[in-house]
Amino acid sequence: MIADNGIVIAFWVLAATTVGCALMVAAVRELIQAVLFLALTFVGVAGIYIVLSADFVAVVQVLIYAGAVAVLMTFAVMLTPSADRRNSETAFQAPALVLAGMITAIIVFVAYDTDWPIADRAGFPATAASLGRAFLKPYVVPFEVASVLLMTAMIGAILLTKEEEEDEHA
Amino acid sequence: MPTLGLITGYWFDIRDLSNLSRKIYELLGDAGAPDWLIWVLSALLGTLGIISFIGAVAIVNIWVERRVVGRMQSRLGPNRLGPFGLLQPVADAIKLMQKEVLQPASAPGLIFSAAPILFTVPGIALMAVLPWGRNMTLADLDVGVLYILGMSSLAALSVFMAGYSSNSKYSLFGAMRVIAMLVSYEIPIVVALLGVVLFAGTMNLQGIVLFQETYWAPMVLLQPLAFLVYFFSVSAELNRTPADIAEAESEIVGGYHTEYSGMKFGLFYAAELINAVAVSAIIATLFLGGWWMYKLDELVPGWMIYIGKIYAVYFLFVWTRGTLPRFRIDQLLNFAWKWLTPMALINVIVVAAEVLVWEESGWSAGFFVPLYIAINNLLAGALVVLFVRVLAPKFQRFPVRPRFAPEIDVPSLPAPPLMGEPRTDLPASGAYPI
Amino acid sequence: MPIKTEPVEVNIGPQHPSTHGVFRMVAKIDGERIVDVRMVVGYLHRSMEKLAEERTYTQNIPFTDRMDYLAAMTGNLGYCLSVEKLAGIEVPERAQYLRVIFSELQRIASHCMATGAFINDCGAWQTPVMYCFRDREKVLDLFEMTCGARLTTNYMRIGGVAFDIPDEFLPALDKLVNDELPRAFEEYDQLLVGNEIIMMRARDVGVVSPELAINASLSGPMLRSAGIAWDIRKADPYCVYDHMKFDIPIGYNGDAYDRMVIRIEEMKQSLRIIRQAMHDLPDGPHKTDVPLALRPPPGEAYSRVESPKGELGFYVVSDGGPAPYRWHVRAPSLINLSVLREMTVGQTIADAIVTLGSIDINVGELDR
Repeated sequence: MIADNGIVIAFWVLAATTVGCALMVAAVRELIQAVLFLALTFVGVAGIYIVLSADFVAVVQVLIYAGAVAVLMTFAVMLTPSADRRNSETAFQAPALVLAGMITAIIVFVAYDTDWPIADRAGFPATAASLGRAFLKPYVVPFEVASVLLMTAMIGAILLTKEEEEDEHA
Repeated sequence: MPTLGLITGYWFDIRDLSNLSRKIYELLGDAGAPDWLIWVLSALLGTLGIISFIGAVAIVNIWVERRVVGRMQSRLGPNRLGPFGLLQPVADAIKLMQKEVLQPASAPGLIFSAAPILFTVPGIALMAVLPWGRNMTLADLDVGVLYILGMSSLAALSVFMAGYSSNSKYSLFGAMRVIAMLVSYEIPIVVALLGVVLFAGTMNLQGIVLFQETYWAPMVLLQPLAFLVYFFSVSAELNRTPADIAEAESEIVGGYHTEYSGMKFGLFYAAELINAVAVSAIIATLFLGGWWMYKLDELVPGWMIYIGKIYAVYFLFVWTRGTLPRFRIDQLLNFAWKWLTPMALINVIVVAAEVLVWEESGWSAGFFVPLYIAINNLLAGALVVLFVRVLAPKFQRFPVRPRFAPEIDVPSLPAPPLMGEPRTDLPASGAYPI
Repeated sequence: MPIKTEPVEVNIGPQHPSTHGVFRMVAKIDGERIVDVRMVVGYLHRSMEKLAEERTYTQNIPFTDRMDYLAAMTGNLGYCLSVEKLAGIEVPERAQYLRVIFSELQRIASHCMATGAFINDCGAWQTPVMYCFRDREKVLDLFEMTCGARLTTNYMRIGGVAFDIPDEFLPALDKLVNDELPRAFEEYDQLLVGNEIIMMRARDVGVVSPELAINASLSGPMLRSAGIAWDIRKADPYCVYDHMKFDIPIGYNGDAYDRMVIRIEEMKQSLRIIRQAMHDLPDGPHKTDVPLALRPPPGEAYSRVESPKGELGFYVVSDGGPAPYRWHVRAPSLINLSVLREMTVGQTIADAIVTLGSIDINVGELDR
């Protein structure tokens, strides 16, 4: 197993936090509180990235997910009418629980049963530089495609929310 | 007793605090403590040092701010409590602690109470990556700059939570304004720092300071445009005047912290100060050279030089606060998207080209560094002038001064419409583009 | 793709750092835009006009101090002028010149405060307020030297002024008018007039067209900012204003910025008037003898002064008794405020606050 006791303790604490916050997302009544717990979940996942020595990905996770995606979800919650902002009792609770339980069971079973090999090579000395080189040498085409996709999304958002030119000036 | 010279390695030479910690670890290791204990202890010691600095800063800066702003307004500032009013922050803290905590009954309690804490934590966590000396960094992260950006973006979320959970219209206004502004200003911050990172070649904060030491030029000379863009956008992120629309005292009374009282409000206030100091520390590290000061840091403790630079930048913040009126929200968003973002992007393009030329040509730094200083400063000046010419709103429709009439002169106007008829003589006032 | 929104009604005031007193605006806003605004006044109504019916004419003079408490001298002056018109009392020359000097000093003090408060509303964190107050303090020192009070001066009497000026007044006034205040106004010129941030905040904000100004019977800097040259001191001169040479500053656009620079220029014109009055100050009595319980003949009189806020008019009706039968004040703040809706609809809340600051209301005289 893992050599260092510290890593084991850190992993279990972070995993408990993450899973607990994720459960709270589904369990709380108020939508805004759910978004807050989701942000905490993201921070927990960033912690797990740090346990795996992926420092760049961890910080980017905090920056993008907890800093921007959570804000986006907050805006989305603000735009929902107040009546729909509570996790009301629906008839879907039992089937949803069953489905979630089944998916969890499958994942746990597969994870337990697989023979996880230990990677041959050592960890990266500087993940940011390696990632940068990977973006620009072997994986430059997906990188460019992703940026074009983002630009299309931004232009689409601006077009969708543009108001008609109103003639207000008397 | 060694004479006062360059920084030595003796344990009592507090000019380099790593000597002290190294001595403690040696003592502990000789006594037989396990490795992980020394590791945990080192983290704790560093954290203790930083938190004590933060505590001192939160107390002193209240005084600095009020006194300096008071002097700028040609009045004395606090001078009753203690000599020069130095005990004023203590009185403020005691007052806030003994106040009754009024909480609106309809505010959801968890978020309402958690928001001030969530606002404080990133500011404190930010100071962990700062280099205080040649060997004095708590967390020498390889992605230090990104870590700073991540922590500042966390603060934005907590401000919104505070405003929303107060369940009052004024706070909601503050929260809405602040979220739009904070999200818009993150882009100039990131792109400006991107220019700095490109030049230095590393995201490690200690590495950037060493870069400035190697080439004998603080980054503010090499990248004036990045410094200007970063300074203005970060004063907007900190909700300081001229961009303090979120807590505009004369308009929406308090903005997102209207409904907070007692120590919760005290925590917001202190967190703003801590954020301001953290950001001043970042500017001092990235642009002014941190603990390095042209060989002076081998005599004087590096952390003293660093604290001096922090307070110099903080004085700049207080200066702009005391002098400038505040912008409207649409003017602020305009400024972020049409002025700062293009300037930062142009800066990154030019810097990338410069770095490429430097690496490819292989000539010595002594040629490139002054050349780039000259080019970048000229570019910054030209860009600022160009933007002002093209983008600044034109007020020259009417003269700035009024005209004078020596005698009465009233124009004769058509009679107003009678009551009951639709009014055609009133213009639509106040319509302006957004 | 429209999103369903609904306008929200927000109370601005009565407890608010920026409404210049207890004044309430109920604004219906859509996002940041104001859709409708409604004023609620009367939080400071002290029924002065009714109380005045129980007191003699001289005892009513302190009421006029407390109405527009930032411009007490002009309030006193207007009231005394209307009673003198009613009773047919002649005022000696020296008293008239003293009245002019003190009115203009009061105008400087009130405009200092108005400018400082206006820029405070624009957001400048009280720095200009401190600078303006520093100069206002010098004027208030002169008031204290003469009549013992800084704010509610109670200085004018029916038939003249209450006290003659002490010996040290004229040298102090000379120093103030020729040395300290011109330097202060030059500082305001450099810092405020043409300041880009103030122009960005205050240009095209709270615009008043000339037609609206005349039809709504606005007065004071609001009327002058729309480009109409009208000043009671020139149109209907009282005291010795017909001997004084001064100009009327008028604006171009009718917005808040114009009003600010008009106020600064009016302060400079006041300095001109004070210099002329100081130069021509004759000797003589400072008050005619008026019986303590003055019984003017039955009748009515209306007389008006150009107070710093606008046209301040006093309408007095007498039935032969010692107390006025009816006393009504035409308060410029109330009349100027009646166009608030036309000025603010369509703007944001920040602009509404700037507009309110530029009207320069005083709730004491708004509510009386």
